[in-house]
Amino acid sequence: MACSREKQTLINQYMDEEMTLQETKQFEEHVNSCAECKQHVTELKKTIAIVQSASHFEAPASLTANVMNKLPKQPKTKKWQM
Amino acid sequence: MDSVVKKIVREVKRGNQDAFAELMELYKDKVYHIAYRMLGNSHEAQDVAQEAFLRAYMNIESYDENRKFSTWIFRIATNLAIDRIRKKKPDFHLEDKVGGTENLDYYSQFASEEELPEEQIVKLELQQWIQDEIMHLPPKYRSAIILKYLEDMSLKEISEILNLPVATVKTRIHRGREALRKRLK
Repeated sequence: MACSREKQTLINQYMDEEMTLQETKQFEEHVNSCAECKQHVTELKKTIAIVQSASHFEAPASLTANVMNKLPKQPKTKKWQM
Repeated sequence: MDSVVKKIVREVKRGNQDAFAELMELYKDKVYHIAYRMLGNSHEAQDVAQEAFLRAYMNIESYDENRKFSTWIFRIATNLAIDRIRKKKPDFHLEDKVGGTENLDYYSQFASEEELPEEQIVKLELQQWIQDEIMHLPPKYRSAIILKYLEDMSLKEISEILNLPVATVKTRIHRGREALRKRLK
């Protein structure tokens, strides 16, 4: 039962937070009584947590200057008018 | 924020290059980060990020001001990253070994003279491992997973960046998520 296409659809809806409160409650009740679904959901939650723990980097400091140096020459008359 | 960006974009359209530098400062970190996560190394990520901004400048006239600038620049960067992956490896499969053979230089991100304490090394290894796992995903799942779980974007934003219907984005997230789960369990 746990690996049926229908169960996978429910798991996806649950993980995407696309269930109504009622549906969530029903699904969680099922998960608590079905070892396979429980494991599947736990693994998915763990997977997402791992991916989300990836660090964020800043761009190298030289990036803006590198691009600015490659731009075509700026017409002299155009200046800030903000 | 949006109105500030609009103002800056108008200046860029008038030919003001200082304004373009301002625009770059706002988006360079995100553009670079997306490219890094797609490509797995800092050298290529820098190349792609620079190329994305150059193209944005050259094509600024075609940018529709009614849309978010971020969506537009992320789309250019994602397309460039995907093109580059395709050129590197025309037949990419889930099972292919990529992470181990790629020249991943995560450590260079933290280049430092001093010796790293053990705690930091463990953290670096964990981070390297996460990137390896992301690199195992086929590019079309990889981009969806990065935008969803690393950049925390909505399905609508992702669908605009990848130029795909929301339903397709969802499928890619589901498949990418499952592929990662099977490897990580």
